[in-house]
Amino acid sequence: MHTAGQIFILIGTFFMFLGGLGVFRMPDVYNRLQAGTKATTLGFMSIALGVGLSQPQWLLKALVLIAFIAFTNPVSSSVLARAAMKRGIPARKVTRHD
Amino acid sequence: MKKVIALLLFLGLLFFLGTGLEQGLKLGDRNTLAGKAGEAYLKRTVNSADPSASPSQVEYGSETDIEENAANTLTAVVVGYRSFDTLGEVTVLFLAATGVMALFFASGKKKRLALAKPNFILSVSSGFLLPLIILFGAYVFTHGHLTPGGGFQGGTIIAAAVLLLYMAGNAYKAPATGLKVLEGFSGAGYLLIGLAGLLLTGFFLNNFLPSGKMGALFSAGVIPVVYILIGLKVSAELSGIVSDYMGED
Repeated sequence: MHTAGQIFILIGTFFMFLGGLGVFRMPDVYNRLQAGTKATTLGFMSIALGVGLSQPQWLLKALVLIAFIAFTNPVSSSVLARAAMKRGIPARKVTRHD
Repeated sequence: MKKVIALLLFLGLLFFLGTGLEQGLKLGDRNTLAGKAGEAYLKRTVNSADPSASPSQVEYGSETDIEENAANTLTAVVVGYRSFDTLGEVTVLFLAATGVMALFFASGKKKRLALAKPNFILSVSSGFLLPLIILFGAYVFTHGHLTPGGGFQGGTIIAAAVLLLYMAGNAYKAPATGLKVLEGFSGAGYLLIGLAGLLLTGFFLNNFLPSGKMGALFSAGVIPVVYILIGLKVSAELSGIVSDYMGED
């Protein structure tokens, strides 16, 4: 149980690292938001689950935290991206619709 | 039916947040008062060369639990020893809010700030998130003597919930009179607690309630009462600032 929790924390840290790298490397605000949101949502969920597994008395709280992150993080990044678009912040040339 | 489910969910979450701390962290058992850095620092001996000599040699005043059994030492400093200073901070915040209000009143700008058409995702999810955010704010200021946080932080979180209501559209308008009444009563309550301390113990803002067991919700004497009042006051003030910025209809 403890080892499983630590493996989850390791996975979460890896995703958090990827998110940070994405924010650093991506060309414009839309791509950065995408990297920052998706990676950190998954990373935080994994870390919270890992903490809950390795310390079972915190499992219920960790699940509540995961649900809260699942509700707030996509909404906030959607609002940010929408505000940037309404403001007319240009996307780089490499960004295009698919 | 929907409201009953929402109320049950709210009460369940409140209970869960309130009870989880003691069982999970075991603050009362593990983190004893004597082991705290602040207590050790205050009671350290100055008569011996050895700084870790028996702390009972020196009595700092005659108070034995000078931190009033607050698990959060920082709160014991902010609302315990330096409560008078915190009263000043609350006054500063009140003056700042009054200044913002005076500026808007002087400029005669009364029209409501024209926001873009409210975001559909935001207005749907705000109905779900709002009670959670307010609950979290209330949790932060009622547990200010146990966990990091306190009146100022919790009040700011609640004001952020009011801002979220404005952002989500729905032609929301904060109740200006209710906010002012809440602000006035909580500020007056803080002063009354100070005067009660003066009356009962002889020192302004001194603790006059039993200290209780450290780590329990009802502990630390007067500190949680003061922090709840500060949280209400700060949330009312910052919500007033937000609604001033947004203007009227």
